Amino acid sequence: MIDFIQNTVDGVMFGSSYALLAIGFTIVFGVMRRLNLAFGASIMLGAYMGTWLHVHYQVHVLVVAVTTVACTVLVGIYVERLCFHAVRRDAALASMVSSFVIWMQLEEAAIHLLPERTYAFPGLFAAGSYEAGPFLFRTEQTAMLLLAAVMVGALHLLLHRTRFGLALRATSENPLAAAYMGIHRTWTVLCAFVLMSLAGGVAGFAILATDQQITPFFGLWATFKGLIAMMLGGMGSLPGAILGGLLLGVVEAHALWYLGAEYRDLSAFLLLFAMLVSRPGGLLGQRILSREELAFRRV
Amino acid sequence: MLSIRDLVTSYGNIEALRGISLDAAEGEVTCLLGPNGAGKTTTLFTIAGILTAKSGAVVLNGEDMTRLRAAEVVSRGIALVPENRLVFPRMDVEDNLRAGAYSRRASAAEIAADVADMYRRFPRLEERKDQLAGTLSGGEQQMLAIARGLMARPRILLMDEPSIGLAPMIVAEIFDIIRELNREGVTILLVEQNARMALDVAHKFYLIEGGRITFSGSPGEIEQDEVIQRAYLGSRQG
Amino acid sequence: MDDYVITVLSNIGMISFIGLSAYLLLVTGEISFGQQAYFGLGAYAAGAVTAMFLLPIWVGILVGACVAGGIAMVVGALTLRLSGLYFSISTLAFAEMVRLILLIVHVQVEVEGEMVGPAGAEGFHGIRWMFERDLSLAHFMLLIYGLLALVLIVLLLVERSRLGSVFRMLGSDDLLAEMQGLDTVRYRILAAGVAGVISGIGGALYAHFTTYVEPQFFNVMLGVHALAYGLIGGLGTAFGPFIGVAIDIGFLESVRFIQGYRMIVFGGLAAVLLIFMPRGILDEERVHRLKTLFRRRNHAGAQRR
Repeated sequence: MIDFIQNTVDGVMFGSSYALLAIGFTIVFGVMRRLNLAFGASIMLGAYMGTWLHVHYQVHVLVVAVTTVACTVLVGIYVERLCFHAVRRDAALASMVSSFVIWMQLEEAAIHLLPERTYAFPGLFAAGSYEAGPFLFRTEQTAMLLLAAVMVGALHLLLHRTRFGLALRATSENPLAAAYMGIHRTWTVLCAFVLMSLAGGVAGFAILATDQQITPFFGLWATFKGLIAMMLGGMGSLPGAILGGLLLGVVEAHALWYLGAEYRDLSAFLLLFAMLVSRPGGLLGQRILSREELAFRRV
Repeated sequence: MLSIRDLVTSYGNIEALRGISLDAAEGEVTCLLGPNGAGKTTTLFTIAGILTAKSGAVVLNGEDMTRLRAAEVVSRGIALVPENRLVFPRMDVEDNLRAGAYSRRASAAEIAADVADMYRRFPRLEERKDQLAGTLSGGEQQMLAIARGLMARPRILLMDEPSIGLAPMIVAEIFDIIRELNREGVTILLVEQNARMALDVAHKFYLIEGGRITFSGSPGEIEQDEVIQRAYLGSRQG
Repeated sequence: MDDYVITVLSNIGMISFIGLSAYLLLVTGEISFGQQAYFGLGAYAAGAVTAMFLLPIWVGILVGACVAGGIAMVVGALTLRLSGLYFSISTLAFAEMVRLILLIVHVQVEVEGEMVGPAGAEGFHGIRWMFERDLSLAHFMLLIYGLLALVLIVLLLVERSRLGSVFRMLGSDDLLAEMQGLDTVRYRILAAGVAGVISGIGGALYAHFTTYVEPQFFNVMLGVHALAYGLIGGLGTAFGPFIGVAIDIGFLESVRFIQGYRMIVFGGLAAVLLIFMPRGILDEERVHRLKTLFRRRNHAGAQRR
């Protein structure tokens, strides 16, 4: 029983980084109903720029943090312009496919920047742990969980208390009606991407500073974990991003403990596949209209 | 006030408007009448900057608006109440109203005052202010759409078929609102198919057919025109 | 021809299978990110047949195609309710599941004093059917292109048949197709199965060409490429994917100064193409125009004679 609870605690800790990544996905999905599959690769490229400075010029960790976030935002803008803005407005799938093919471009660019397998990433503070009763908590992962909660809180305020948030929500509800209100769609969408990249850059830095190393698999990892967490929690739902992240972390932790390391990622994809087949909208997301309901709507 | 000269708008190769001219005078309700596909909505969209005219001019109080984009048009005082209401269904009533004031860059206090003003005018919206707009009835959504348009503090309000898809009793209510707004001095350009209802509120009529204005006149003149009588008002019993 | 040219040409041929597989689904209106799964399943199944059970290669290819097609139909039935991006992500999830399962599967048998079979992350070594029979690479290339031609002919025949128009109807508007009285469920599963079979044949050939396969090869990047091949070439004709493959492997890999930047160039090219030609170079409209052009020419020629 103690094991089970400790595993769950570990899972929540893993899950905090997944939640951070899911937040970025959910922002853009919430506004545009589109998926940006190049998200993880964008974060990786941003983080590689930061790492590159760290490797070649031994810059301070804060410089690495700022570079990572800033470059992630720049790459995010590039992806938005190429894959989302330029692609026909009604072609949501074309945007997703486009971001999927741009993924390989970003990944190769990162590998050209730093061709080795692994690089050290500067940590923000020394790893530590503390105990609460019989259970062990990791300090840096607890910090990440707090960071995720703070980010969701801040985003919630931004969305519901500011003029910009109003524009974002109105655009996501009905872009045409939003245009009647004088809301500039192109600009709003670009801002949503900047926001996504900001969230992604911060998430990426926090995760890498905890791991203290970066490999070319980071982009793939970040896209998958963030995507799975978002889809489990509910597409476009901010609380869903946290819930999905934690659920994913807990399931992985149990798979790791009871089945072995090689079942960890497998359990994640199995969970995603099962969720899609049984409840495509995720736990807290809007219900997805099935084909029949779509037909009924057209009548 | 609003004056449109020889407006031509096309979708690709198809000319939807073939030179429309009309005037909407300050403080009046001007009604654009016409069958489906005649170009009524196209006219409104071109004025609102959602479509761009190929030639011609849209002038509001001497200022040329023809080439402006939607956002700029709204901030210069033309607000559109779209057809089929088009509220933001998963936002609550109050947020819908706030979205209407987006183009004004007004302070929060000013916007709050205007929202309160809308609640005075439409008490039914205040009762439902925390409800999601998608859960309102059709008539309430139309009210919300009108109030949302007013939140932009427009100099002229464009209304696209406010009666469409509503029960006759609700339609009467909506037209009462229009009359009331007009009494308070709001200038309105109304697009309608329901000529009978429009007859009571509008000061001036234009008939649009096949992208051209084919008739214009006062309510009295339109009632005397036999063709219009038959096509848009239906034969009167007794 | 030297071995390098033969290897490049064989690669083009084998990868074309997965491109065709992605293309077929695109025609029916489904975007699959996961056709690499069936390529991998075909490769492992065919490899097991020839290397572990010492059966001839045609049995291997047949089993590989059936395994891939069968599993594709099951997945197709499970994901039937999904459309658009939900379908795409479900294919991606399934493909990653297959790859991760192949990383775990460890089944080996002793063949002539050696352990042969899938060995988890180390891959599946010793699929030596081709070398044990002293077949040259050139011979094997002929086998690849023979099968490719067969698949292509079948696809072209399908395209001219009622089934082809059913597939296209599903792609343009499946609700309308249903209103026409088509059993969309059956055709959707059928399309998924055929796409799986095509990809599986490619995988079966690949396993025997390289003599060993590892799960890592069937990763997302292979899926990205397969989809890009289908999209770049165009959705108008089954020749489309070859254009995509030829641009990527044939052209970009052989131009020296692009080497090392291939994914950057190819990824950018695919993204730009999606903006200007969202249905590919040879889309339905251009194919139709080309056809009428040829028909008119032939007609004019016949008259002159």
